Amino acid sequence: MANKSVLGLFDNADTAADATDVLLEAGCAQEDFDVLTGSPYPEGAFGEKNPKHHIYVFPLVGALMGLSVALLLTAGTQLAYPMVTGGKPILAFPAMTIIGYEGTLLGAVIFTILGIIFESRLPRPKLDPYDPRITEGYIGLLVTCTEEKVDVMEQALRRGKAVDVIHEKGRAL
Amino acid sequence: MHEPHHPVQASYLRMTAQEITQDVIQRHESPGRQFWMVTSVLAGLLGLGIIGFIILLSKGFEDRNAWGYYATTFAYIFTAAQSAVLISVALRMVKAHWRRPIARISELFAAVGLFTFLLLIPLLWVLPVTTGRRSIWFEWPGHSPHLWDTLALGLLVVCGLALLYFASIPDMAAVRDHATGARQNRYRRMALGWQGSLHQWKKLQVGISLLGGFYFILLIVVHMLISVDFAMSLVPGWKDAIFPAFHAITGFQSAVALTIVTMSILRWKTSLRRYIEADQFWGLSKLLLALSLLWFYFWWSGFFTYWYGRQPAEQSILKFLMFETYKVPFILAFLLCFVTPFVILMWNFVRKTIWGPTLAASIVLVGTFFNAIRFYVPAYSIEDSSLHFLETLPPANTPGGVDILIIIGGIAGAVLVYMLASRVFPIVSTWELKEGLLLQRVRKLMKIQIKVLAKPE
Repeated sequence: MANKSVLGLFDNADTAADATDVLLEAGCAQEDFDVLTGSPYPEGAFGEKNPKHHIYVFPLVGALMGLSVALLLTAGTQLAYPMVTGGKPILAFPAMTIIGYEGTLLGAVIFTILGIIFESRLPRPKLDPYDPRITEGYIGLLVTCTEEKVDVMEQALRRGKAVDVIHEKGRAL
Repeated sequence: MHEPHHPVQASYLRMTAQEITQDVIQRHESPGRQFWMVTSVLAGLLGLGIIGFIILLSKGFEDRNAWGYYATTFAYIFTAAQSAVLISVALRMVKAHWRRPIARISELFAAVGLFTFLLLIPLLWVLPVTTGRRSIWFEWPGHSPHLWDTLALGLLVVCGLALLYFASIPDMAAVRDHATGARQNRYRRMALGWQGSLHQWKKLQVGISLLGGFYFILLIVVHMLISVDFAMSLVPGWKDAIFPAFHAITGFQSAVALTIVTMSILRWKTSLRRYIEADQFWGLSKLLLALSLLWFYFWWSGFFTYWYGRQPAEQSILKFLMFETYKVPFILAFLLCFVTPFVILMWNFVRKTIWGPTLAASIVLVGTFFNAIRFYVPAYSIEDSSLHFLETLPPANTPGGVDILIIIGGIAGAVLVYMLASRVFPIVSTWELKEGLLLQRVRKLMKIQIKVLAKPE
């Protein structure tokens, strides 16, 4: 059965935080609803679990890849065109540092950008249900549930003192 | 005029989240006629600069001396504008809450990076190959600085723009939510479908912190590459290990100064007065004072080594860059980057004003320009960079008409890019302001009102 989304809109952060309890009591699982806000709130302010992410992995992988490519390029060049200078070793580490540094950061920056986009699931082609009042300070509780549970969730949101409930397609009920 | 010694009043923005959003978006939609008038004047000045550049270009790249002031303009804009992004990055790292109204003002300088990058391109033809002269590139091919410096600056620009873009996404979503027609469509695409879920906030904040960290470590290395490849390695006998660090310190100092001056202009000419208050000026003025002292310390460390050694090569460098050939720009840089701002900002009551930091910052920005002159103009006046040291000092290169056109056009171009970028990205970070509102309250403490700040982390 297809999932549907319902958005409850609250004009007060405290009311919205209390409404999450009403949703849980109505049988909605923690992972089935999300809180939409116009500014970041302290972690756990809405009783949510600490959101997990893997953003830190992206720059690490990127940096390792960038460093590897830079080392291959510099070491490979030195080995391919050996030039003995003053009897020093062919593979000279100091001569590789700047290129290694740049390669590392090139990989790290590019992968961080990709990581933010991927982890935030951006771009999202579809915004529904959403309400512009969220960027004005309203709080949205976005519930995703099966079609048959939509009415139950809507009632729970209203019991939680939502000032408005919006279904998919941005239709105000 | 003597001002009484009293603490800076705790500023508290008495606005709701809705009022902030509407106010910032309204001013973003219609910046006013004065904005476009200034933009037109700047475009005209940039046009003059382009004429100067074409005249310079028509003479070719062989006469390096002719490109000295062009290189200075490039270095000056890079030093001040690219480092200015760091103000937002650093203050966000240390969780300084007073940064919130000025975060975007600082981040917007990342857009100037595009202009700086364009300015770098002609210099790549002017810069001689490293073959046969001292450089940090060992035995790599002679065009190594051309390739790797371009890559490094390009990467810095990309990192800065990514930081600006991601930090602006929530504000662009706010514009999307309140605009209509083509403007709404444009911001719908730019906001990438941002909803503001807790997951998105968390990832955005982590991402911004990471990009900020990378920007910081990239900036340091780009300062090193630009200062060594485009100045120091061109002057025979100039082997100063402290110079790249001094260059970076100059960048930080001018970045703080540039941010203060921009804040002051915005306060003076726009309705942003309500967001930018004495708190921000006071906070940055302390940094500016510390950096002015560091300017002296780093200059002294470099100078003292040369002065103490007194080898012929060292003596000729001191004469060339400080005490004979380029004495005037050196004295002006010394007075305007260290002595004057120190004398102004050492007084606490001056630091707590808005005019005091603004005056000192304006002076520092002029001083930084003379500081760039005394490094980059001499470097490009050397005909043979492969010499062991400077046996005879080349004459001073004073600016001609073309040089002045390029300087004016270059600086006007950088300001123009900044102003145009402020039309794309809202100049106030509303989401950070709103987050700040959430975390602060005014409470009564006996007979005074104080600001109480929550620190959830």
